[in-house]
Amino acid sequence: MSASRGPADEVPAYYPGCSLDGLGKAYEVSCQWVLRRLGLSLDRIVDYNCCGATEVKNLSQEVSVVLPARNLALARGMGRHQVVAACNGCVYSLTRANDALSDEPTRGRINDHLTAGGSPRYDGGASVQHVLEFIHNRAGPERVRHSVKRPLAGLTVAPYYGCLYSRPKRYTGVGLTPGTDDPEHPEFLDELLTACGATVLTDYSAKTICCGGGHALSDLDVSVAFSASVMNEAKRAGADLVATICPLGQINIENNLDRIRQTYGTEAILPVAYFTQLMALALGASVKEARLKDNFSRPDLFLRGRGFP
Amino acid sequence: MPIVEPSLVEVQRTEKLALDGIDVSGDWNTFLRSRVHTDLDLKVLEWVQSQPQGETISRCWQCGTCTAGCCMHTDFGLEEFNPRYFIYLAQIGYDEELRKYVDTIWRCVSCNKCVERCPKGVKVEEVVHTIGTYLEVTGIAKESPADRFDRAYTENLLRRGVLDEAALFRTYERLEGRKTPTRELLRLGLSMLLSGRLHTGPLAHRARGWGRMKPVLTRLMTEDLRRRRDSATGPGAVASPGRRP
Repeated sequence: MSASRGPADEVPAYYPGCSLDGLGKAYEVSCQWVLRRLGLSLDRIVDYNCCGATEVKNLSQEVSVVLPARNLALARGMGRHQVVAACNGCVYSLTRANDALSDEPTRGRINDHLTAGGSPRYDGGASVQHVLEFIHNRAGPERVRHSVKRPLAGLTVAPYYGCLYSRPKRYTGVGLTPGTDDPEHPEFLDELLTACGATVLTDYSAKTICCGGGHALSDLDVSVAFSASVMNEAKRAGADLVATICPLGQINIENNLDRIRQTYGTEAILPVAYFTQLMALALGASVKEARLKDNFSRPDLFLRGRGFP
Repeated sequence: MPIVEPSLVEVQRTEKLALDGIDVSGDWNTFLRSRVHTDLDLKVLEWVQSQPQGETISRCWQCGTCTAGCCMHTDFGLEEFNPRYFIYLAQIGYDEELRKYVDTIWRCVSCNKCVERCPKGVKVEEVVHTIGTYLEVTGIAKESPADRFDRAYTENLLRRGVLDEAALFRTYERLEGRKTPTRELLRLGLSMLLSGRLHTGPLAHRARGWGRMKPVLTRLMTEDLRRRRDSATGPGAVASPGRRP
């Protein structure tokens, strides 16, 4: 789909997705906090619908394209060329729809469905990025460094990107378009957290592995094993904390805590937090304002112990 | 056919053999049992190719990049999860071998590393799912836990346009016959509710205007499901040349 991103300072449309308005509330709140502090803003798409993630496409190609297309159409209706999503699954399905809609007959068909459902048409022209890319591109590590009030000094953080942030490049354009991260060795999160004063494990081996979130409920053996690797690898490399950028990853890992404890022992558990929670902390928010108590792995207890108010 | 089914590999093993006092027992030779295939049926290939999610299958040249990086194959260590091999079996139409993997093929977690790395632009993850779907719609495989989840997820989101996470959890547990203790659910539910994270039942989010969208999507879904079932099994099923009578 056309790579036009509109004016460079455009306020992008913001697609929260179901998670950020539900279980991932802490992500949403801390994200808004960070954006405000960095002088960035996003315009929420009202009346968005679920994007279908990776599930719907296994049942129906047509529905799996109409769902994200409606959201992209709403964003274009707001006059925006850029859409920012905070969930890896949403980034995947929105970019996948853009890819499918670059085919003209498909676009015609999907628009017929949209019109029949009373939604605006979508003729392309909305490029999708992850909120991590947005913060990195618009504010950048430099501005973050200057805005830090309380550096995360002494914290060793494992940057966990998960799977669908950076891949597949044929959908996300990642690694191919300027301002996008590397699909196999992403670095944006490393740079932002380093700017916040944390020690970041750049060579963290589980950076882009899957957390098993796609089968969080339907294949527990797999989701427990992968969630455990995310923490085990971080632990092995000496991390105090794992930073995530995806609500599905965060919720899946934390949902498996008890099972990981049973299988691998208590030592295997590390506190896990959204990257925006950690950034908010560095930019001056309190542990409470960053909603760190919401996380089942209780990073709030750990961070209070390290002297964060 | 350069790539062989594991079941045909025959290892010639010598249990106890010493030559000039040196122990040389072990595997001496590996043979491939000779066989004649008479029951290859290209129907599976044609069906997968006819689905939008599976149309890239024919680009595959069997390099194995997908399997080499596959997290189910390597990280999880489920060796029989081998996307390269699934594609191979579908390409030559070897149903009989493919059906041995009914309990394996659905376990792909959609991490998309294979799609990222494929040098030929095969959407491996979607192709593998489509092969799994073929096994399911033709009745070779039973509905898998992942399929049940996909169905529960889709039905849930179509209701209001926005996912009701708590209801999805409950529905899926019911489908699998699992039950989280009520006390545990209440404890979790209360903490979620107090922190503003529980939007279920009357508190659920709803996309405005969904009333008109819902019937359109429900119809599309029903049509798509019917079409894919009929095209695999019905009278208009894709041709199956070379099938033994």
